Amino acid sequence: MQESELWITRIFNDRFSSLGNAALQLVGIHPQARPWANYILMELVVFLFLALLFAFLRARLSVSAPGRLQQTCELFYGFVSGQAESQMGHASARYLSFFGTIFIFILVANMIGLVPVFESPTKYAPVTLGCAMATFIYYNLMGIWTHGFKYILQFMGPKWWLAILMFPVEIVSHLARPLSLTIRLYANMFAGEQVTLVFISLTYLAVPVVFMGLHLFVGLVQAFIFMLLTISYVAGSVSHGH
Amino acid sequence: MTKKLFFVLALLLFASSMLCAQTPGGAAAESPFDLHPVAAGIAMAIASGLCGLGQGKAIASSVEGMGRNPGASAAIQTAMLIGLAFIESLALYTLLIVVLYIK
Repeated sequence: MQESELWITRIFNDRFSSLGNAALQLVGIHPQARPWANYILMELVVFLFLALLFAFLRARLSVSAPGRLQQTCELFYGFVSGQAESQMGHASARYLSFFGTIFIFILVANMIGLVPVFESPTKYAPVTLGCAMATFIYYNLMGIWTHGFKYILQFMGPKWWLAILMFPVEIVSHLARPLSLTIRLYANMFAGEQVTLVFISLTYLAVPVVFMGLHLFVGLVQAFIFMLLTISYVAGSVSHGH
Repeated sequence: MTKKLFFVLALLLFASSMLCAQTPGGAAAESPFDLHPVAAGIAMAIASGLCGLGQGKAIASSVEGMGRNPGASAAIQTAMLIGLAFIESLALYTLLIVVLYIK
């Protein structure tokens, strides 16, 4: 299904295809000729980049004399923590690691598409579905962890006699959440790349840069929106307001 | 005037099913004009037009708010960007359907 391979995918498919097939067979998919997909490797590249970045940061952490990397990461931390606290209050500290991970991963995954030899893994629906399912499973698990099995009462609505009406409505709206998260991120990234490609084929010079700039902005905004919605869903599921 | 227009449109809607029922067997596949791009264009045009209207309303009220209260500009700008992203994604859902179903 992929039209062309990046150089890194070509290397992995030529040398390590048996590794890819072994991994696919763990989930029951038959061996294929070229098992590594573009987005799998791009996700791994993003992961390696972030892991190395934060390992580098960890080695240089200092309270008295923070370096530039530490100050930049503190900016990110302050941003995510400010958003979480404005929606959840002080209970947000337990969940901050997930919010920060989602934000940084989706942000870097969107941005890596602008680098010439790479492409955004979030341009493919399976990747955004994975992020949305992670959020879905996480907020339900946090709800069950906080409330126990009384979590199901949140689906029943405010009054007991409304439960029979509220339950299907709540189930459908909860299932619509990962759907909308997936499609929003996927369609934004896909459309951004398609628009850039159309303008590259129409006018060869200079004008596609404007659309790449728009894609950069849209990638930032979409990562922020994903994080904001994740915070909102976790806030809704662990709140004691019901 | 609006009621008459609405009545004419409703009549056209009900009549169209009777008009199209005269050619059973699926004229879509054998039509000399390939109508798939037309459908794609109309769908995308409606989605983008309505999205443009919605975003215009969002920006208009946020800019007016910034004019009334310049100190709150940062908060208003953040809320405006979030709102625009949500409205934009509605038009993009249509683009996704177009890309999925138009070969």
